[in-house]
Amino acid sequence: MKVKVGDVVLPGDFCEEIVTAGDKTKIILGPGLKKEVDGIYVSKAGTLRKRAPNTYWVDSYQKRYIPSRGENVIGIVVQKAGDIFRVDVGGSCTASLSYLSFEGATKKNRPKVVIGDVVYAKMLVASKDMEPEIVCVDSHGKKGRLGVLEDGFVFKCSLNLIRKILNPDCPLINSLKNQWPFELAAGMNGRIWIKANTLRETIALGNAILGSEYLSNEEIKSMCTNIAGILAGHIS
Amino acid sequence: MAGKTKKIQLPKSVLEMKFMKKTRERIEKEMENMQDHGSLYSNIITNEMRSASGNFISESSFIFCDTMLEGRLSFKGMNPEIERLMELENADKNEQPSSEMVKDVSDEILAKKMEKFNKKRQNPDSEARNNKRKKVNN
Repeated sequence: MKVKVGDVVLPGDFCEEIVTAGDKTKIILGPGLKKEVDGIYVSKAGTLRKRAPNTYWVDSYQKRYIPSRGENVIGIVVQKAGDIFRVDVGGSCTASLSYLSFEGATKKNRPKVVIGDVVYAKMLVASKDMEPEIVCVDSHGKKGRLGVLEDGFVFKCSLNLIRKILNPDCPLINSLKNQWPFELAAGMNGRIWIKANTLRETIALGNAILGSEYLSNEEIKSMCTNIAGILAGHIS
Repeated sequence: MAGKTKKIQLPKSVLEMKFMKKTRERIEKEMENMQDHGSLYSNIITNEMRSASGNFISESSFIFCDTMLEGRLSFKGMNPEIERLMELENADKNEQPSSEMVKDVSDEILAKKMEKFNKKRQNPDSEARNNKRKKVNN
């Protein structure tokens, strides 16, 4: 069926709008869109979206993570194998993380990473046929925001929720950030790591994040004030 | 494709020199290869195949499609290191749009001054007279 931007689309639908736009300028086809010889076809069920000037993608509900290059993910170290760590990132196979790809690591000075550690890392290589590779440094050799996540609490959610809370228009983080001290790491692989000073605060933060999945922006705001109120003891 | 990326070639006169023999041979060989390749697959490679990718770039990740915050955040002093990075990033973002020159004189003051200035210019006679009077008074 022919579809246009903003429609709910199913695999097999095609979009002529993108083809005509492609005659004039370069077009970026995001996840869920495939270029075939005779047009652009949809390969995932969801909403067809466009971002000006030239990006199209399908916003779909998904829980399975497929590694792709450049994404920040949260992984759990499951094995030490010689020079590399095997890290579970939720993909079809484990990712490899070299012990040299930490800030300040050398052959003599190995980073202190043990099995069971949670790491926040960037996908460096992600291809269909190969094991993905992740790193904990940027191109300058600095760790930046990456590295081992100490303490805290990890939970899983859908990949959509990650994109929703990281969207600059989403009020969740803005309404929570002035309430109590907390730290958060969201991996594009559907894992969130949170850390707060007390157990109550951690649970409240986790509930706020998970509860916001199917709420509108207004509802998120009222839920956050409600949670903050309960936590402060105004409402019992 | 090959036509678009034109290689810089040595002039013929240089190639004909004695010491350029090897280079000349190599270039001739390259030329031959190019022609062979073209004719070898010409019946298999269609124009459609040449322009197959066209203007479309496939991207498998959402991070290049939608605008997104950095996934590592800290608030109210939980992790000062991360908060410093966040501040630096915000400062960079805020600086970009306000790259105009800093104003020494505000718009309002400038408007008032210009009004006065224009009045003076419109009737310089009266102004001159005023000045004369002032001089007389002095």
